[in-house]
Amino acid sequence: MAEPIKVLDVELSRPLDDLTSLHGYRALQALVRFHDAPLGYVTVPLLEGRCSAAALRQTISRELGPAVVRQLLRHRLALPLPRGGLDFDELLGTPPADYKGPMPSVTVAVCTRDRTSGLAKCLDSLVLLDYPDLELLVVDNAPSDDATEKLVRGRYPDVRYVCEPRPGLDWARNRAIAEADGEIIAYTDDDAAADPQWVTALARVFAEHPEVMAVTGLVVPLELETEAQIRFEQYGGFGRGFAREWFRLDARAGADGSHIGAGRFGTGANMAYRRSVFEHIGTFDPALDVGTETNGGGDLEMFFRVLQEGYTLVYEPSAVIRHRHRRSYGELRTQLTNHGIGLYSFFVRSARFYPDMRLRIIRFGLWWLWWWDVRRLLIGFARPARMPRDLILAELYGAFTGLTRYRKARKSAAEIEAAHGPIEREAGREDSSVMAAAE
Amino acid sequence: MPGFQPRVWPTAVRIVDLSQPLNALHDVSEYTRVRLFVRLADRLLGSVEIANHRQPVSVSRLREAIADGLAPELLEGTKRIGTAGETPSSLASLVVERAAPAADAPAGLSADVPVSVVVATRDRPGDLRNCLQCLVAQISPRHVEIVVIDNNPGSGLTPPVVADFPDVILVNEPRQGLAYARNRGFVAASGEIAIATDDDVTMPPDWLEKLMAPFARSNVAAVTGNTLPLELDTDSQYLFEAYGGLGRGFRSLEADSVWFRSFRRRPVPTWELGATANAAFRMAVFAHPEIGLMDEALGPGMPSGVGEDTYLFYKIIRAGYTLVYTPDAFVWHKHRREMPALRHQIYNYSKGHVAYHLTTLLQDRDLRALTRLLLSLPRSQLGRIKQRLRGRSVYPVSLIMLEILGTMAGPWALWKSRRRVSREGRSGPFVPAAQRASIDSTDGREAATGR
Repeated sequence: MAEPIKVLDVELSRPLDDLTSLHGYRALQALVRFHDAPLGYVTVPLLEGRCSAAALRQTISRELGPAVVRQLLRHRLALPLPRGGLDFDELLGTPPADYKGPMPSVTVAVCTRDRTSGLAKCLDSLVLLDYPDLELLVVDNAPSDDATEKLVRGRYPDVRYVCEPRPGLDWARNRAIAEADGEIIAYTDDDAAADPQWVTALARVFAEHPEVMAVTGLVVPLELETEAQIRFEQYGGFGRGFAREWFRLDARAGADGSHIGAGRFGTGANMAYRRSVFEHIGTFDPALDVGTETNGGGDLEMFFRVLQEGYTLVYEPSAVIRHRHRRSYGELRTQLTNHGIGLYSFFVRSARFYPDMRLRIIRFGLWWLWWWDVRRLLIGFARPARMPRDLILAELYGAFTGLTRYRKARKSAAEIEAAHGPIEREAGREDSSVMAAAE
Repeated sequence: MPGFQPRVWPTAVRIVDLSQPLNALHDVSEYTRVRLFVRLADRLLGSVEIANHRQPVSVSRLREAIADGLAPELLEGTKRIGTAGETPSSLASLVVERAAPAADAPAGLSADVPVSVVVATRDRPGDLRNCLQCLVAQISPRHVEIVVIDNNPGSGLTPPVVADFPDVILVNEPRQGLAYARNRGFVAASGEIAIATDDDVTMPPDWLEKLMAPFARSNVAAVTGNTLPLELDTDSQYLFEAYGGLGRGFRSLEADSVWFRSFRRRPVPTWELGATANAAFRMAVFAHPEIGLMDEALGPGMPSGVGEDTYLFYKIIRAGYTLVYTPDAFVWHKHRREMPALRHQIYNYSKGHVAYHLTTLLQDRDLRALTRLLLSLPRSQLGRIKQRLRGRSVYPVSLIMLEILGTMAGPWALWKSRRRVSREGRSGPFVPAAQRASIDSTDGREAATGR
């Protein structure tokens, strides 16, 4: 097996140190940040487990120098410039530009199921979040025992625990919407850990831009210890780059279909919504995502719907979540199959609910099949090391399976709803706004 | 205009002055884009375009768009750049240096890093004595181990010389070939860094430390130095320098993965990075799964002639490490004094060049080798013949013809060399010094291990 890669953060506003005793790692992947904003990765190969500060600095300035300069300029432009031009030394000393306006209240929701060890790490990071008006919520989804409840109630007194008996991640997400008190609801997963500035970075986008209804953020690997984890990052990972991006469909041009490939907007481990948007566009579709026949796609479908309904979605890389990828190769393959199923279930669902988008969705679905699966499979024949064929085949299999799964999942969701009734807020708690429950 | 549908996007035009506080653009909801002209007092810097999709544009979005779109223009007026003649790209590195100052930057490589000098020799006692005298005279604060590899133990010429230098270790490698000999030396050496050099080389006393200095950076896995001609007494020595010699110029150079990838169609010119007459390696590379020891089928003493050093450089850089060429660490090399020896050498170099490219093609599937072998190499040889015929060079056509012959013999030579290696066995294995306790490192003879 290939040797692991050491993952760590490098903050450029603090002195760099020599790194030693990284024995057993073949390389170092540093997430380079400047006043917390991530600028990019640098990878430095290791010999004898050492990486000198000089080597790291040299690599950073070669590969990320322009990004550092841009970041400095962004901060500097918060104040008027001297008429004669910038002064170099003053530019270097520029402090980060702070936003001083009012910030919204935020609820962080973690939907979990029978994974207490991961959840504990996640909650350990959430209680360190640096944000004044914050509510932490754990939604325990159809648990098989009371381990999660004991963990949360026993170790995390500041975290609210809610049990959602309807099995399915999107039921849990909708329950979080019903329970949340914050204006903003931010979701992360139980196998992830939040950066201390995560909520601040998300909330700032909402605060500065009233028209923004959804914000997604950067997902970086928590560790690259196994081959499966390294493969997953090579395969595309969850990161979506280091530039802030704005997505909105032009009302006059009409829905042009550029938002059907919703995977590029982000992922469910790092997404946040203005809670009021759900009153207008509905809540998550309980027939989608983990715990149902579709195994995924709930997050993508919501990104699509936010844009399709004419709202703005922003990708904000400064909001950082660390995700622990699947460790074993078998788990990775299952995950990719599920990814294929979820994606094509989301296509089927969206084609059903937006008939005038149907043709564009079919076209995109076919193109994606060619571009992402078949084309890469062909490359995999020429270069097996770069594109492992079994992983691509797993995803391709998922794509075909996904075409029929949504119909089944809808039936199951209807049965669940018939058995449990619609989602309601926990008894004894008052809500300032009346929330639409699941359909 | 009722019913008017713009064909592109309705675009608002605005101008901001950076010497004034920035304000959000609230009045652009009729437009899908904003073309923003940016000025700083009297100077118009340029424009950026923002896809606002009928929404107001916040100050943070303005700052982002201006900083990303006009960074070079904003920096152009920066006072220090103007006076010191610095460019924006050097600014970037300055910013990182300033933003992340080294806690206490070490001036050079720490003195407690031990080094081994590996000298391969074959029946040249006079040259070897001179070389060893230079080596023991090196001024260095660190522990310097000297390992001599006798590549022809049967002659008995080498041991009497080594006996005069009490601390020098002598190791035998009966299999003929410089790569075999050097590998034997690397396996026997105990330092953290190994210097490879030849017996016909003379070093100034500060050479070793100059070659060590770049190793202070952990990503530097190899350092090469310049090789100058000790004398140009004879025609053959003069012509060898005209052929290209062993020197690689007087400007330092760094070759890393960025450099390696920057050559798209033509092969990476590793032969411009120096040679193992004057090269140092971090010993850990020999244990690296993608690098290993030198390829025994290449190099002097084999039919293939040369190439063992360039191929090792190739593997080191491809694995992501950095090679530094530092011309200040120079040595003097005594070129062959007689024409037949020169002819032999040039013929070997040409064979080795081809063998090296074929190795990268066969071992590493590096298709760039093909463009060198089929296009640029024949073209350069023909071009030099043309130059000579026009009287623009002193380099004789007969030597160029010899190069062409060597080029054609290259594939055959590599095949013969590989056959010999499969018969005589591979070197090593290399065991890092720390894990070596149980292995007797003075045993010069190793059983052939087959393929």
